[in-house]
Amino acid sequence: MSLEHFAESRSLTMGVELELQIVNTHDYDLVGSAEDLLRILAKRKQSGVVKPEITDSMIEMSTGVCDNYHDALEQLGTIRDEIVDAARRLNIGVCGGGTHGFQHWDDRKIFDKPRFNLLSELYGYLAKQFTVFGQHVHIGCPGPDVALYLLHSLSRYVPHFIALSASSPFLQGSDTGYQSARLNSVFAFPLAGRAPYLESWVEFERYFDKMATTGVVKSMKDFYWDIRPKPEFGTIEVRVMDTPLTMRRAAEIAAYIQAVSRWLMIERPMRPCEDDYLVYTFNRFQACRFGLAGTYVDPRTHEHRTLAEDIAATIERVEQHAIELGADEACRAVREIASSGVNDAVVLRGDHADARSLNEVVRRQCLRWKS
Amino acid sequence: MVESLIWPSWPLHGNDLMRLAVALLLAAVCGEGVARLMKLPRVTGYSLAGLLMGPALLDWFGPTDLDNVRIAIDLALALLLFELGVRLDVRWFRANPWVLVSSVAEAALVFLLTFATMRVFGHPNGLAATVAAIAIGTSPSVVMRVAAESKAEGQVTQRLFVLCALNVTYSIVLSKLIVGGMHGVFRGDWTLAVLHPIYLIAGSLFVGAVLAFAFRLLQRAFDLTDEQGVAVLFGLLLLTMSALAILKLPSMLAPLIAGAIIKFSDPRPHLWPRHFGTAGGVLVIALFMLTGTTLTPTLVLAGGLTAVALLLARLIGKLGGGMLVGAPSGLSLRQSVVLGLALLPMSGVAFLLAEDIRTIYPLFGSQLAPIVLSMLAILELLGPIAVQWSLRKAGETRAGGR
Repeated sequence: MSLEHFAESRSLTMGVELELQIVNTHDYDLVGSAEDLLRILAKRKQSGVVKPEITDSMIEMSTGVCDNYHDALEQLGTIRDEIVDAARRLNIGVCGGGTHGFQHWDDRKIFDKPRFNLLSELYGYLAKQFTVFGQHVHIGCPGPDVALYLLHSLSRYVPHFIALSASSPFLQGSDTGYQSARLNSVFAFPLAGRAPYLESWVEFERYFDKMATTGVVKSMKDFYWDIRPKPEFGTIEVRVMDTPLTMRRAAEIAAYIQAVSRWLMIERPMRPCEDDYLVYTFNRFQACRFGLAGTYVDPRTHEHRTLAEDIAATIERVEQHAIELGADEACRAVREIASSGVNDAVVLRGDHADARSLNEVVRRQCLRWKS
Repeated sequence: MVESLIWPSWPLHGNDLMRLAVALLLAAVCGEGVARLMKLPRVTGYSLAGLLMGPALLDWFGPTDLDNVRIAIDLALALLLFELGVRLDVRWFRANPWVLVSSVAEAALVFLLTFATMRVFGHPNGLAATVAAIAIGTSPSVVMRVAAESKAEGQVTQRLFVLCALNVTYSIVLSKLIVGGMHGVFRGDWTLAVLHPIYLIAGSLFVGAVLAFAFRLLQRAFDLTDEQGVAVLFGLLLLTMSALAILKLPSMLAPLIAGAIIKFSDPRPHLWPRHFGTAGGVLVIALFMLTGTTLTPTLVLAGGLTAVALLLARLIGKLGGGMLVGAPSGLSLRQSVVLGLALLPMSGVAFLLAEDIRTIYPLFGSQLAPIVLSMLAILELLGPIAVQWSLRKAGETRAGGR
C-alpha cells in the first residue's frame, strides 16, 4: 500500500479536533455512553463532526476548516453546545482534561468498530490504557515539501504546546507529579515519538514504502508521532496537546500554533536540521513534568531558560503574524498563561487541594467545559 | 440449682441465634455456589436458601419468626432505598422530560393490565387495585445488588435506577391511598380515609427532609467514605427507622426521599463508605433469605394461576411502556427492551406493602397475600436473573468484561 497523494489545502487554515471524556453524574467515573451520545447527535443537524474513539467512554469532536481564531472559537462553541445538550438529556457529563483522574483502565471497553478491535488485539492493554484525551490541530500547507519543512520547524515549539495545554496531572487515582501524564501513555506505543528527519516528500514517500514493506504500518494512521503529515487533508497535524478544560483554551492554543506556523512559513527564520532533535526528548520531558516552569534548551544556542520565558519571547517574535491572522487576542491570553504559570494542570491540582476528592474534581471539569 | 447456671443442660438445645446463624451461613454458601457454578446473581442464591429453609420445604422458619427480625429487613431496605434516592437526580427530568414520561407510561400500563387481569379472574375491584398498585413497583434491592455485583454502569443501568425509584414511589403512594379508601369502605370513616394517606405521605416527606438535613450536617463533620462513615450512616438510618416506627409512618418512602433531596441540594458526588458493601451485604443476605422464608406452599399454590397471568400482564406493561417512549427519550429499541426486562424483579417492598395492609385489615390481607406471595416466589428467583441478563445484553457490565 503506498502513501496517498498530498491533497491541496489553503495555506495556514486550521482545524481543531478534541477528544472528550464521557462520565456519569453519580460518581463521575468514565461511562461507556459514546454510542448513546452519538445516537442523539445523529438525529440533529450538526455543524461539526462528532466521532467515536477507541474506547466507549470517549468521543472526538472536530471543526471544519477554520480561517482564524474567531472562526475556530465559534465552530467549537456550536459543537460543544450540541454535545453538552445531548449529554444533559442522557444525564451524563462531558469534559476536557488529558486523563481521567481515577478511572481504572481495565474497566474500559473497546468501541465496537473493526479498526478499534484490531488495535485492541494488537496492543492489548495498551489500547485500553490509551483512554487519554488529546487535542489535535491541523495546519493547512500549500504543498508536501512545505508541510515537511513546517513539521520539522514546528518541532522546536512542541514543548510550548505541551506546557500550555497540560491538563493531566492525575492518573488511576493518584497525582503523578507530571503536568501532562497523558503523553507518557502515548509514548508507550512503538511508533510514537517524532517523525524521521526527512525534508522532501519524495524521501518521505520512500521511507513510508519501506516501512509498509516491512509490514509494520499500513497507513499514516499507524504512526503516533507528535506531529505528522496528513496527506488526505493537505495538512500537518500537531498531536501533543492534552484536551484543555475549556474550548476557549483549545482555540487559543490552536491560534498560537497558527501564528507560529505563519511566522515560520513566511519569514523562514531558520532552516531546520537533524541536530535540532538532539534536545527534543529532553525538552519534551521537561514540559510534561514541570509544565511552564520546565527547562527549555535552545537547540541552536544551547541556552537554558524556562518554557514560560521561551513562550513569551516567541509571542513577541510572531506578533505581527498574530495580528494578520486575528490571533492577537489569543496570543495575549497565551502570554498570560505563560507569565502566570497557571495552566489547566495547575487549575486541576487547585481543585483537588480544595475538594480533596478526585470525583469532585471531575465534576468541576464538567462545569468548566460547559462554561 | 446453681449447677444449671454453670453447666450446660443435657441434651443440648439450639437457640434462636444459632438457627439464624446457620441460616445466614447457608444463604451465603448458596449465593456463592449459584454465582460460581451457574454464573447467576448471588441474590438468587440467598432467596433460594430462604425458600429451602422456609415453610415451603424444610420449615425451619415461619412467618412468625419474621416479626423478630423485621428491623433487619427494614434497615437493609432503608439503606438500599437511601442509596437509590441519591442516584435519582430530579434535574434530569427537566433536561429530558421523556424519562419521566416513560416512567409514567410503564407504571400506568402495568397498573391497567394487572388490574384487568385480576378482574378477568373474578376478583373484586378493591383487591384488583391493591394488587395492581403493588405490581407497579420494581424491587430496589434486587436492582441495586445485581447492578453492583456486575459493576454495571451506563444508560440502561442509570434509567433502571431512576425508573425503579419512581415506580416504587408510585407503588407505595398508591397502595397507601388504597388503604385510605379501605378505611372508608370497611369502617365508613371517610375523614380517616382522606387524612391517613395525607399523613403518611406528608409525614414521609417531612422525615425524609430531616434525614437529608442531618446527613448533610454529618457529612461536614465526618469523612463518610472512611470506616467511621459506616457507623454514622447506620446510626442515622436506625434513628430514622425508629422515628418512623413511632410515628407509624411507612419505612420505605422517607429514605428514598431523603436521598433524592440530598442529590438535588448538593450535586457533588456522594460516595458511600468503602466498607459499606461488606456491612450492608450481611443485611442484604438477611433481607433476601427472610422474604424467601415467608412463602408457605399453600399460599403459593393458592395464588398459582392468577400469579402467573399477573406476571405476564406485568411483563407486557413493563416492556410496552419503555418501548413506546424509548426512542424520544434517547434509547435504542434494544436498550428499551432490556430495560423493560430489568424492571421485572419484585421482592422486599412488595412484601412489606402486603404485610402493612395485613396488619391493619387481616381479612383483606389474607386474600391479598397468596397472590402477592406467589408472584414474589417466582420473581425472587427469576427477577435477579432478568436484571443480570439485561445488563449484560446492554453491554454495561464490567465484571470480567471484554
